[in-house]
Amino acid sequence: MTDTRMLDQGTTPIRFARGWHCLGLASDFADGKPHAIHGFGTKLVVWQGANGELNVLDGYCRHMGGDLTQGEVKGDHIGCPFHDWRWGGDGKCKEIPYARRVPLRARTQRYETVVRNGQLLIWNDPEGSAADHDILPPELPDVMSDKYTPWSWHTKEINGSHCRELIDNVADMAHFYYVHFAFPTSFRNIFDGHTATQFMESKGRPDTMGGGYGDENSTLKSVATYYGPSYMINWLEVDYKGFVTEVILINCHIPTGPDSFLLQYGITVKKPEGLDEKTCAYIAERYTESFGDGFLQDVAIWENKVAVQNPLLCEEDGPVYQLRRWYEQFYVDVADIAPEMTDRFEFEVDTTKANEYWHAEVAENLAKRAAAEAAAPADA
Amino acid sequence: MASFVPTSEETLEDLRHYTEDRLVDVACLDCLARVRVKKNSDHQTSVQWSAEARSACQEFVRRDQRPGGRDVHKPCTRLMASIDDAVRAGDVPVGAYDGY
Ligand code: FES
Ligand SMILES: [Fe+2]
Repeated sequence: MTDTRMLDQGTTPIRFARGWHCLGLASDFADGKPHAIHGFGTKLVVWQGANGELNVLDGYCRHMGGDLTQGEVKGDHIGCPFHDWRWGGDGKCKEIPYARRVPLRARTQRYETVVRNGQLLIWNDPEGSAADHDILPPELPDVMSDKYTPWSWHTKEINGSHCRELIDNVADMAHFYYVHFAFPTSFRNIFDGHTATQFMESKGRPDTMGGGYGDENSTLKSVATYYGPSYMINWLEVDYKGFVTEVILINCHIPTGPDSFLLQYGITVKKPEGLDEKTCAYIAERYTESFGDGFLQDVAIWENKVAVQNPLLCEEDGPVYQLRRWYEQFYVDVADIAPEMTDRFEFEVDTTKANEYWHAEVAENLAKRAAAEAAAPADA
Repeated sequence: MASFVPTSEETLEDLRHYTEDRLVDVACLDCLARVRVKKNSDHQTSVQWSAEARSACQEFVRRDQRPGGRDVHKPCTRLMASIDDAVRAGDVPVGAYDGY
C-alpha cells in the first residue's frame, strides 16, 4: 500500500500572472463603445477615445461601483451609467458633471496598453510595476499587409482548469499522437528568460479522421514560442500533398478566475502566390477550423482531468518540471524570481522508440479496419 | 505570496530528481561556456545553462543583437558539437534512471 503513488493536486495560486496579455483584435474595440472583458478576477472596460487611443480600466466605478462597461464613451473618457463620473485612460476621474471638484483620490485600476500585430495587449502586474516594453512579443513582418489573410479570431471560455494546463502542452510530446492524432517525429524545447519554445515536426495519422495536426496528407513544421505567461506565436509550415502554406497561429489567454480562463486564438495565412483572394480566404478558413478543432481536443482533456503537482514521467516525456519552473517566474514577486526559473534550458525529446511503437499500432488499426470493411461490404 | 504549492514533501523530491539529478559538466570547446548535460538515451539530451554560461556563449551574444524572431531560440551549434564530443569520449553517461 505504501508503494502506491499519490497524486499531489497542490494548491493553485491566488494571484494572476505578471506580463502582457492579449484582449483581442484592436479593431474589435474601435467602435467608440465600451466593451466588457472578464479578466484577472474582475471585469475590465475597454474603449477607444475620440483621440483614437485604446484604454483599459477596471470595469467598476470607484464612486458607487457602477458598471462602466454599460456606460457611454464621452470624448476621450468613459462615463459611468450610474452618476456619469468620467474616467480617463490614465485611471483618473476627469470630471463629475454635478460636482464642484473631483476628489483627489479618484483613481482607479488602469492597464497599460499596446497594439501589436493588430491586437490589443495589456500589462498585468499584481505588484503594480510599470509595463516592461522590452518583453513584448515581436512584430510580425508583413502580417496585417495584403501578403497575409486578415486575422481570423476566436475565443473559448474554459472553466474548471487553471491556465497552466494550457502551458503544459509546450512540453507534451506524446499527447500529439493521442489527442491530436499526429506522429511527432521531432520535438525540442528551449526555455530562456521570459520565453518558452517548442520545436516540432509532425505528420498526420492515417488511421484517424483528425483535422488540424491529424490529417494524414499533411506534414507540419512548427515553432511555437510563449513570450511571457500567456501569449504564444506559432509559426507553422504546413505541407499538404506537396503544397506548402505558411500559417501563423496566435494562442493566447486571459485568466478570469483561479480555475478558469478565456482562450483566444487567431490565424493568418500567407497568401500563396498565384491564388485569387477567394481561394486564399477559403484556405485560411479551413486552417482556422482545423486548428480550432485542435484546441477543442485539448479542452475535452482539461475539462475532465485533475491538476497534478507531481507528474510521473517516462523517458519519452518532455521537460514538464522545467517548463513549470519557467512558468513560476510570472507568479512570484520580481524580487523572488530564482535564477533557475529564467536560466536557459534545452531539451531534445527522443521520439525514435515512440514512433516505432506508434507506427506498429497504426498499421494494426489499418489492418483491422480493412478486415472489417472486407467482412461487411459497403451499402450500394 | 503563495504560488503553485505542492502539498507533499515527496513532490519536492520529484522536482529535484527531474531537474537536478545526474547532470554532468560539459565545457564548450569554442568559448568559456560551461553547461550541465544529461542524456537519457542516444537521442535525448538536456542542457542546463547558467546566466554566466549564457553570456559567455559568443553565438548567443551575436544573436541577441538581432531583433527578436524565431531564430534567437535555436541551440548553439558549437556547444551541441562539444556535447557530442563529450558523449563520444564517454564523459556523459547515456541512459535513464526510472524516467529521469
Ligand atoms: S457609481 Fe459610477 S458615477 Fe456613481
Ligand atoms: Fe494540445
